[in-house]
Amino acid sequence: MSDMDRTPGSSRPISRRSVLRAMGLLGVAGAGTVVAACSSPAATSAPATAATPTGTPAPTPTLEPGQTPPPTPEPTPQPTPEGELNVYNWDEYIGEDTVKGFEEQTGIKVNYDIFDSYETMTTKISTGNSGYDVTFATGVDVPGLLARGLVLPLDLSLIPNIVNLGPEWQDPGYDPGNQHSIPYMWWTTGFGYNKANISEDLTSWEALWDPKYANHMAMLDDYREVFAAALIRLGYSVNTTSDAELDEALALLEEQKPLLRKYTADDIGDLKSGNVWLSHAWSGDVAQVSWSKRGKDVVYVIPSEGGIRGSDAMVLLANAPHPIATHLFINYMLDAQVAADNTNYIYYMGPNEAAKQFIDPAILDDPTLNPDKAMVAKLQELLDLGPDLQKYQERWTKLRS
Amino acid sequence: MRQERLREAVFLVPGTAWLLLFFALPLVIILAVSFGTRDQYGGVLFNPLTLRAYERALEPDFLPTVLNSLRYAGLTTIFSIAISYPVAYWISRYGGRRKLLLLVLVMLPFWTSWVIRTYAWMMILGDTGVLNGALQGVGLIDEPIVILNTDFAVVLGMTYGFLPFAILPLYVSIDRLDPELVAAARDLYADGRGAFIHVTLPLTMPGIIAAALLTFIPSIGDFVTPDLLGGAQTITVAKVIQLLFMSSRDWPFGAALSFLLMVATIAGTLATLRILRREVIG
Repeated sequence: MSDMDRTPGSSRPISRRSVLRAMGLLGVAGAGTVVAACSSPAATSAPATAATPTGTPAPTPTLEPGQTPPPTPEPTPQPTPEGELNVYNWDEYIGEDTVKGFEEQTGIKVNYDIFDSYETMTTKISTGNSGYDVTFATGVDVPGLLARGLVLPLDLSLIPNIVNLGPEWQDPGYDPGNQHSIPYMWWTTGFGYNKANISEDLTSWEALWDPKYANHMAMLDDYREVFAAALIRLGYSVNTTSDAELDEALALLEEQKPLLRKYTADDIGDLKSGNVWLSHAWSGDVAQVSWSKRGKDVVYVIPSEGGIRGSDAMVLLANAPHPIATHLFINYMLDAQVAADNTNYIYYMGPNEAAKQFIDPAILDDPTLNPDKAMVAKLQELLDLGPDLQKYQERWTKLRS
Repeated sequence: MRQERLREAVFLVPGTAWLLLFFALPLVIILAVSFGTRDQYGGVLFNPLTLRAYERALEPDFLPTVLNSLRYAGLTTIFSIAISYPVAYWISRYGGRRKLLLLVLVMLPFWTSWVIRTYAWMMILGDTGVLNGALQGVGLIDEPIVILNTDFAVVLGMTYGFLPFAILPLYVSIDRLDPELVAAARDLYADGRGAFIHVTLPLTMPGIIAAALLTFIPSIGDFVTPDLLGGAQTITVAKVIQLLFMSSRDWPFGAALSFLLMVATIAGTLATLRILRREVIG
């Protein structure tokens, strides 16, 4: 502590006090300016409108009666793709050699980034300018993303492999005609448990509330999924917006919280490591564990009360720096062999009908990974809730605090 | 005189500009956000300026979380100092020619990523990890004990991480201590313990307080360690702030909490420094 501090007032040319005072004034002025700037309606969540990628084919000419059709026009030359592609995907959610195969086939360099929490991804792309080209959003979020201008319509002429999709995926409810997204994988949510640690056969959601397994249970770190588990147990719709029902679910979850080891973003790692014996989990994740050496005793259960089914879809992000490359990538992912390779590696079923001939029969025959239509009908799908999502988010904060 | 003032001011410009742009400006933005409200998609609306976020932050059900954060930070600080003091003392008194090497060894782990070191702890403390394996192998326990994802693991991880922060200021303070003073105390019939309590400890108090501050302040903001090493119950204010910004997308509430946390920390620091000044300068 030097003498400088002791000298009162501003007898020194620049004293600490005067600098602090100046910064304080600047701070208040700055806060006022920021508030004023952001109060203008133009600044609040202005959706970015970017141009759609070029390369639409020439329109087919109309024919007069009696006129012979003109000779088949030259196919429109493929637009030149950019040299790079920025992909943002879940971790452990693509085939082992898929990216490499794409790079070799097209010569486009892929920058592959991963996330382990859906919220991290949505936060990043909500800025409208994340720098990524393509990401894998949950199907039901696509309408919301579209409404906020965060995804662009696709040029389906650049995605001929779209014919490989099964008939039920050609026109999904969340995105008619697949104009803005291409389905990637579909899955169910239930729970997985390690038979080496738990000898009983577990079939119900109640297992996750059983004090016998206290300190060795985990729930997913995903508030829609966690509330869905509670709502299914209570017999309500997983898309309810009723405050009363949500409060009941919250109470049930608060009972569960002291028994939990953690809310996990890595169900695969936790089940494999042996720290967690019983975890709320996604079907393909549990399969990845049970097909591995360390996790061979882990089994997946779709509880008797019901579970969740959902799908992920590839979307072209607004302000994507490499839109053409994105279309090529999406088309590549729809290739029958590539799609099968993805499924065979990550154990999630895809919507790709043509790929089924290449998929490992063990996966096709496994009812937990490839449930039949009767089972699928019993499962609920998480739907977009729009502004009511806040009700879930508030209760999630309360639960976790 | 005027020329001298100008020259001094010029030297201040780079530093001040940096502070303004990368420190003051983000803080101002956070402050502004804390007065807003959340829109339906998780963005921020500035039209109704409100103190609602602060009201929510000061609600009584939030108190256990705050106390939890203080508890972890407090325990971390106490254990850090308890471990660091002997280490710093030993290096200072008995380090001899190897003092510098020993200090470098203290700082070396710091050059590895914090997250990687925390993951290492996850592997050590897990149910099938190194520690449990060793205890079972020796025969001390039959079933693995749950260490990971508990309070113990969190405090352990944080203490480990902040040890270098504590050792270095303590070392500086102890090193400055004139051994002649201790010798004088011994001459005046003080035994080892007495000399320590009446001479060494008070004279190294500035170091202890510096170490305490340098450990407490980052611990109270640490959300990585409670996240990786902690479990469902080890929730801290920092973790809630992360939750609000990432999952719940409630930025105004998160911003309000951040600001309150900052204000509380600064107030505590200033109060502690004032006590220190009184102690040292008198």
